[in-house]
Amino acid sequence: MTGVDTKRSAAETVAGQRLALLRRPERPVHLSVTVALVLFALFGLPPLMNGYYTGYAALTAIYAIVTLGLGLLVGRVGLYSLGQGAIVQIGAWTAARLLFGTAQPYWLVIIEAGLVTMLIGGLIGLPAIRLRGLYLALITLMLAGAFTVVLATVNFPNGGGGFTGYNGQQSHIPPIRRPSFAGDAVGYYRLAVVVAVIMFILVYAHLRTRPGRAWAAIRQSEPAALAAGINTTFYKLWAWGLASFITGIAGGMLAGQARYLYSYNFTTQDSIILLAVALMGGVYNMWGAVIAALLMQMLPAVLQQQGVSYAWLDILFGIGILQVLTTAPTGIADQFPRDMKKLGGLIWRLVRRPGASSAGGKASAAGSATGGTT
Amino acid sequence: MPSWSELEQFLISGLALGGVYALSGVGLVVLYRATGVLYLAFGAVGAFGAFLMYEMLQASAPQWAAWIVCIVFGGLVTLIYGMIFGPALAGRDPLVRAVATLGLTLILFGAMELLWPPTSGATRAISLPTDNGGFTVAGLQVTWTQVIALAAGVVITVATGIFLRFTKLGTAMRAMANDRVITATLGVPVRRVEAAAWFGCGILSGFAGLLLADLVQLEPATLTFLVISSLAAALIARLRSITVTFVAAILIGVVHDLLTPFSALTNYRDMTPFVFAVIALLVVSRHGTVMTRSREEA
Repeated sequence: MTGVDTKRSAAETVAGQRLALLRRPERPVHLSVTVALVLFALFGLPPLMNGYYTGYAALTAIYAIVTLGLGLLVGRVGLYSLGQGAIVQIGAWTAARLLFGTAQPYWLVIIEAGLVTMLIGGLIGLPAIRLRGLYLALITLMLAGAFTVVLATVNFPNGGGGFTGYNGQQSHIPPIRRPSFAGDAVGYYRLAVVVAVIMFILVYAHLRTRPGRAWAAIRQSEPAALAAGINTTFYKLWAWGLASFITGIAGGMLAGQARYLYSYNFTTQDSIILLAVALMGGVYNMWGAVIAALLMQMLPAVLQQQGVSYAWLDILFGIGILQVLTTAPTGIADQFPRDMKKLGGLIWRLVRRPGASSAGGKASAAGSATGGTT
Repeated sequence: MPSWSELEQFLISGLALGGVYALSGVGLVVLYRATGVLYLAFGAVGAFGAFLMYEMLQASAPQWAAWIVCIVFGGLVTLIYGMIFGPALAGRDPLVRAVATLGLTLILFGAMELLWPPTSGATRAISLPTDNGGFTVAGLQVTWTQVIALAAGVVITVATGIFLRFTKLGTAMRAMANDRVITATLGVPVRRVEAAAWFGCGILSGFAGLLLADLVQLEPATLTFLVISSLAAALIARLRSITVTFVAAILIGVVHDLLTPFSALTNYRDMTPFVFAVIALLVVSRHGTVMTRSREEA
């Protein structure tokens, strides 16, 4: 029985180390920059933005959650989903139905929307993750297509009766309600940022602990992970469920942001564009999700102000997919600092003139400082 | 419950639609087998070609010239894509190579929205001269376009089968489907064979775009994402057998159109290909074929 005891004590030490790992951030500079950025987004940004940009900023925060979930699946576990658009719709539909049908507090509805989406996503995921790679991507694309067809007929709830809660007449359609403490645009934007931050922390906690390591092993090699005693099906399903949960919460937040939901606003290409921006932003880095959301929501808002057609974005995202897949698989989040580091090193060398070889080490260090803060 | 006489007409249109799905599906399967790329831009390329054809017809160019432009455009764009990104992504996971073709899809889709923005009033439409002619079979009106669509599906499937079995190029393609490296070692000009597969698939995409623009609707999103329906047929055939692809495509086309007169189901008829494909994928995954196949390639 001593073997069991040593095993247990060893496990306890490992658990203790893990907790310590969670508590002590690896890079304090990164953490403080992140906190400063979040505080700026919460308090510094709203006075600088008009109502138009506040709305799109809220959408950016909401979609950062969606791309975070997709980045988790693609980058951390290696599951390509072409159906995330449909998952967003499930969350939005559920939240809208509950907000119209019940008087529950807002936060509860959002969590319920996440849970229902997780359940439905899990039901889809259970058979789907038995498939691999290409076939998983295709089955999610098919399911997203099927779901879009269903939604076009069922429609989003708009205060009507029955299970679907859809009122066919065009008169007296009430808006989807918002919480009392975040009724106006700025308040809802702040709520969206807070929810997004909570979701990022949730995913970060997963990545730093056991599931994160299991996912990394699965991504590297599924047979090897299996041989190492990892229950691959369970952890894949866990990733799938977690991604569905946070995407459902994003969908619920979207319902409150849009206030009126129409099925024709959700199309099949949404899912494809989601994958495109997630890849462009970078799926191996959590900042990639933020960049992806900015690309997907803020860029069109800026372009629309300049009178540029939205179609240019499709072209840009198409080029982006090809570029990322052929030359820069890590996406902007990792590629941009690296490019800046190179550029910084180049400038440093130009300034210093080719000279002492010992300056080389310092040059790259200076470069990384500039790269890190940009 | 609609009567049989109501259903008959939809059977004809369903067979025509199935014919186009069949020729698209065969194009997808042959390209996938030869190069390992699942060409998701198939619909977008065809749609772009159809819009070029529309533009030429508006400028009162001769009909035959417009058709040739539509078909050749599909072939050229596909060939160029294959020549640039085929080698660049060779050796990557089939999934990555399929996702890359979504990049081409988005580029073409954006370009179409830019060049031919949605019109508020009259919708764009293409009408082939074969729409007006036709004949009556057992009291049913059949247009020549419908005959051509079904016949094209049958002819392309049979011709591709013969081509793959009896010609040198076809044998090379089958060899590459089995093992690319060994094929190259045996002295087959792999890149040239791939180019032929890309061009052939592109020609089919242009042809499918031409027919679908007439049979369905000349609208970027509809035509671009119709590839998913043909893809469903190809998936049912596990991206292998062109015979199964043909049967599945005809089945999907017929079931889709036969659901139209049923009032309870008519709104859901666009789900037909997805439902078929999802069931097929799940059944196939139980037998492990898909798993082994993707493991071979991964």
